[in-house]
Amino acid sequence: MAVTLKRSVLCLKHAQQIQQLPWTVPSLVTPRAFSILNRPPPNYDGHVPLTTIEKAALAAGSAVMSLLNPRRADLIAALGEATATPYFIYRLRDAMLSDPTGRRILRDRPRITSTTMSLERLRALPANTVGHEYAAWLDREGVSPDSRNTVKYIDEEECAYVMQRYRECHDFYHALTGLPVMVEGEIALKAFEFANTLLPMTGLSMFAVTRLKADERGRFWSTYLPWALENGLRAKEVINVYWEEELERDVGDLRSELGIEKPVDLRATRKMLRARRKAERAVASKLVLD
Amino acid sequence: MKASSLTIGRPVLKHFACQSCARLLRIHRRYATTASETPEIFDVVCVGGGPAGLSLLTALRASRATSSLKIALIESQDLFQTRTWKLPPDQYSNRVSSLTPSSIAFLEDIGAWRHIQSSRVQPYHEMQVWDGVSGSRISFDWPGTGSEPPQFPQQKTIAYMTENLNLTSALLARLEELGGLTIHDNTRVENINLGQETETLNLSSWPVVELADGRRLAARLLVGADGANSPVRAFAGIESRGWDYERHGLVATVQLEGEGWGGADEKVAYQRFLPTGPVALLPLPGNFSTLVWSTLPSHASLLKSLSTADFIAMVNAAFRLSPVDLAYMHTQSQGQAEELSWREQHTKFDVQRIPQRIVGAQEGTVASFPLRMRHADTYIGERIALVGDAAHTVHPLAGQGLNQGQGDIQSLAKTIEYAITHGQDIGAQLSLEPYASDRYATNNLLMGVVDKLHKLYGVQSGPVVALRSWGLQAVDAMGGLKGFLMRQAAGGG
Repeated sequence: MAVTLKRSVLCLKHAQQIQQLPWTVPSLVTPRAFSILNRPPPNYDGHVPLTTIEKAALAAGSAVMSLLNPRRADLIAALGEATATPYFIYRLRDAMLSDPTGRRILRDRPRITSTTMSLERLRALPANTVGHEYAAWLDREGVSPDSRNTVKYIDEEECAYVMQRYRECHDFYHALTGLPVMVEGEIALKAFEFANTLLPMTGLSMFAVTRLKADERGRFWSTYLPWALENGLRAKEVINVYWEEELERDVGDLRSELGIEKPVDLRATRKMLRARRKAERAVASKLVLD
Repeated sequence: MKASSLTIGRPVLKHFACQSCARLLRIHRRYATTASETPEIFDVVCVGGGPAGLSLLTALRASRATSSLKIALIESQDLFQTRTWKLPPDQYSNRVSSLTPSSIAFLEDIGAWRHIQSSRVQPYHEMQVWDGVSGSRISFDWPGTGSEPPQFPQQKTIAYMTENLNLTSALLARLEELGGLTIHDNTRVENINLGQETETLNLSSWPVVELADGRRLAARLLVGADGANSPVRAFAGIESRGWDYERHGLVATVQLEGEGWGGADEKVAYQRFLPTGPVALLPLPGNFSTLVWSTLPSHASLLKSLSTADFIAMVNAAFRLSPVDLAYMHTQSQGQAEELSWREQHTKFDVQRIPQRIVGAQEGTVASFPLRMRHADTYIGERIALVGDAAHTVHPLAGQGLNQGQGDIQSLAKTIEYAITHGQDIGAQLSLEPYASDRYATNNLLMGVVDKLHKLYGVQSGPVVALRSWGLQAVDAMGGLKGFLMRQAAGGG
C-alpha cells in the first residue's frame, strides 16, 4: 500500500507538471454576470444559461436526489455539469488541448450514437478488439449508446463538448475495465474517472458507497478503490482516446498503452459469491433436513 | 583587418557635413605602420562606441567645462558604416530600444537628438500589460490633467521607440559637429596594462590600452562602455555577478494590418506575460512594430526555423491563445497558421485590447540572444569607470536597459565636470565616487524589481497566479499608485 501511495503521489506530481492544476484561473474573459430577468441567449444548441445561484441550487438538488436514487442518470448528468465549472472542465479541456489526439478530437468533435457506431459492425469484429468488447459489454448490460443526455448547463461551447465527450465515452471505460453498470461497478468506475479526470461529480458519486450492502462496501474499500486510484492516476488521460479509431485494436494492447490494469471481474465475483452462498445454504438446509 | 585611425577637427568636419562628401572621410585616415614607443596620453579613453560610449563622449564634448579634455574612442566596428546608416522607410532594424522622456531630455541637452532621423522614431502613449494565464490586466496612460509628470508638463508620451542604430548614428553626427575627438574604429583592444615609469613620466598607475595595430593609449580615466563581456572590467578586476535566465530574447520587425487601434497619434505598447516569459509588441512608425519575445531557447530556435506564415501565426497566437495552446504549437514543426485559425474560434479575447493582427515579418530580422542578469560589484576603480552593459545587464521586460545606460552617462558626465571645475584628478577613485554612489543603488533596485517580475510571472499555476492577478488589478484600480509608478518609469533609468 505504501508503495502504491508513493507511486500515486509521484503520478500526481507528474500530472501536475504536464497539466495545469485545477485551481488555475483558466478563462481569458470571465463571463458577464446576469440575473434571471435578462437571461442571455444560448451559446450553443440546447444551452441553458444559469446564474451562479441557479447552478449552486442545481448542484445541491441533483446531488441529494441522485444519492436517494442512483439510477437517475439525468440527475447525475446535471450534477456533473453544475459542478464542472468554474475550474474542472477547463482543466479537462486543457488536458485534451495538450495532447495531439485530444486536439484532433476537439477539432473533429465526433459523437458516439447508435448511428455513428454500428453495433452490427462492432459485433462482427474479432473477439478481444475494443469494438467487440464494447458491443459485447453493451449487449451484456442491455444499454445503448443513445442513452446519454445532452449537455445543457455548461456555458462555454467547447467545454460543453468536452463534457458530452466524457459522457459518451463513459461506456467505453466500462468496456475497457469490464466494470458492470450495477451501482457497485458504477462507483468503482466513477472512482477511476475521478482520479483520471478530476471531475467533481465523479468524486461526489463516492457518497453512493453509503448505499451499498456491507460486503459490497468492504469490497469497494479493499479492492476497487485502491485499484481505481492507482490506475486512474497512473493512466494517461482516457479522455484523449479517439475511440472511433481504436475499435479494431486489441483491448489488452490499448489497456497497456494507457497504463490500465483490468480489475477483478466484478460480475464474475458476485456470481461466484452468490453460487457459494447458495451452495452453503443448500448444505445448511441439507444438514437441517438430515 | 587593417586598423585605421582618424582625428576629427573642426576645419576637416566642414567637408563631412553632407552625406555625399562623406566619402572624403576615408582620405584623411592615416594608416599606422609602427607602434609608438611611449603611449599617447589622453584624459579620457572610452572603449566601446555603442549608445553608452558615444553618449558619454558627446556629453563631455558638449559641456564647456569638459570640452578641453583630450578624448579617444576605441570601437571594434566600422563607425563610418554606423554614421552613414540608412534604411528605406519600410524597413526597420530589429534592435530597437525604448527611450524614456528623461533619456530624450538628456540627449536633447547634449545636442544629439536633433540629429536623429525623427521619422523613424515612434512615441507611444499607452501601455497594455496583461497576465497570459489569468488574463488580468493593467493599462498605463497619462490621465487627463493633474497627474502629468512634473518635469514634462503637457506631454502624454510614455516612451519613444528608437532604433539603436538611429541613435548611434545621431550621436556620431553630433560628435562630428563637435569635433576634437580621436577615434580608433575598426580595431580591437589587444590588451590593457598599467603603464611604466620612465625618467620623464610616471604612468605606473595609468591604464595603457594597446590596440591591434600596436598603437598605445594611456588614459587618465579609462571608461568601459564595452558591453557585457567588458575587457575594461576584466582589466580592473571587477567581478560581475548574476545569473542566466535560460531564456532567449527573440526580436523581429513585423508589419501589422493597420496603424494600431488608436491610429497614428495614439500608439500603444503591448506586453503579455506568458509562463515562458513576456512577449512585447512595441510600435514603430506606420504599420510596423518591433517584437521582443522572451522565451525558452528551444522555443526561440523553433520560432526561427518556421516559415514566415507560421512564424506570423505564432506571434499572433502569443497575444491571443491560452498558454496550453501555445505550448502545444511549440511542439509542431509546421502548420501553426492552420492551428491558430482553428483555436481562435474557441478562444475569447477583447480584440481592441490586444495588438492588431500581424500580417508580415521583415526578412532577416528574426534573431535571438540569451538573456542574463549581471551586475558589476562596483562601477569604479582607480582610473576606471564602467557604464551601460559593462556595469549591468538587465532582463528586457521593462525596456530599461538603454535608459539605465543613459542615466549612468548623465551621472558620470556630471561627476567628471565637477572634478574638472574643482581641480580634481578626473581619474582618481575619490573623484569618481559620486558617480558610483549615485547610480549603483538606483540600478540595483530596478534590476531587482525586473528580476522579481520575471520570476513572479514564470509561475504557471497555483495560488501565486491568483495573488499576482489580484495585485495587478489592485494597482490598476489605484490611480495614485499607478501614476507614481509611471512617473518612476518615465524619469527612471
